[in-house]
Amino acid sequence: MNVKTIAMAGTLESSDVSIVVEPSRNEGITLELNSLVEKQYGEQIKCVVLETLEQLKVKKAIVKIHDKGALDCVIIARLQTAVLRAAGVETFNWEEEK
Amino acid sequence: MEFLNLKECIIENHGTVHRKLINEFLMKQGLRAEESIEYTFALLNEDKVVATGSLDGKVIKCVAVDENYQGMGITNKVISNLLNEAHRRGRQHLFVYTKPKNLSIFSDLGFYKIAEVSQEVVLLENQPRGIDGFIEEISSARRDGSIISAIVVNCNPFTLGHQYLIEKAAKESDFLHIFVVSEDKSDFPTEVRLKLVKEGTKHLENVIVHQTKNYLISSATFPSYFMKKYDDTVKTHALLDIQIFAKYFVPALGINRRYVGEEPFCQLTSKYNSTMKTLLPNHGVEVIEVPRRKGDREVISASRVRKLLREGKLINVKQLVPINTYQFLISEEGQRIIEKMEKALALIS
Repeated sequence: MNVKTIAMAGTLESSDVSIVVEPSRNEGITLELNSLVEKQYGEQIKCVVLETLEQLKVKKAIVKIHDKGALDCVIIARLQTAVLRAAGVETFNWEEEK
Repeated sequence: MEFLNLKECIIENHGTVHRKLINEFLMKQGLRAEESIEYTFALLNEDKVVATGSLDGKVIKCVAVDENYQGMGITNKVISNLLNEAHRRGRQHLFVYTKPKNLSIFSDLGFYKIAEVSQEVVLLENQPRGIDGFIEEISSARRDGSIISAIVVNCNPFTLGHQYLIEKAAKESDFLHIFVVSEDKSDFPTEVRLKLVKEGTKHLENVIVHQTKNYLISSATFPSYFMKKYDDTVKTHALLDIQIFAKYFVPALGINRRYVGEEPFCQLTSKYNSTMKTLLPNHGVEVIEVPRRKGDREVISASRVRKLLREGKLINVKQLVPINTYQFLISEEGQRIIEKMEKALALIS
């Protein structure tokens, strides 16, 4: 999936995460993580994010994450939404989704 | 928090019942609702305002939470809503204007401090390398010399007065950095103002024309400049703007002199100038105030040029502006802008 514009999903409320996905000039994923629980779960969050991006076939993007203690499933959902918005996808095949 | 059932309320126009309630609430919190606000989000408990925040262009302001409801993460809810709305409106680079005691709250929400006027106000942005990135960009234009000057101009539009001021500053300096205000809230659009200044200073070898982006005399750093009203907030805004100049621009470019045109008419600009004169010398910057150049009778000023344009006296403008500005004014694009200014005048009168 190609990231074409800047898009955002999520909130800064407790147990949620706010994610901004931006187009990048450079190849690869640039990750900026800012989390309440970075010490405990920083690596885990990064893993989940990179895995989700791989599944969505995003090769080039800047991803800014402000985490307020979201669970993995929330992070995945917010990231998917942000990527789809950034790619300008308006229909989504939910059945295909695991 | 989980047990509170707060009603969400969004206001995009003025004059509703809720707007009145919110204004009263803000007043109690020592804040004032500004007319330029375009979007307001509020949380209500029954009919009582509990929290609110507003969007004014790219600036988040008038954020307040009732003290009985603090510490429940309500600020996060308000800011999240404003961030999402700003993104929906295509604005990614955002600023927060708030009291210094709220600094830590906004830092937790992903905002980074730009500058602070102690006890009064602090300005933050949502990009970690916002102003540093911009300063890095312009510092490629750094030149060495014993007198490195700066001048900040709006040039709405570029007149012989501006040209005279810039020529004088360039002659007296080894190098001159000209900053043209980027905020697009003047009669002449930013690109036009920038283009006219570039053309009108082409003959000078030791100058460079920069943009100011959001960082000098913008609606984030100096909101009162664009509201064109004079009150006690002007001094605070001026302090904030000058502090950003001293903290970021001065060291990056090695500036040791700032030129300003004398301001006999506008109280706001003259306050800005006098604040600059007390503050900048502490940062090793000398402030030089240059008296206005006189035309045949009156002094030349951009506001006089605009007044003549609105009155349809283009011919009288010819002797007040450089040839390139005049050529622009008679061009199709220039005529369109003048037409718009005339129409705005007709609406007022």
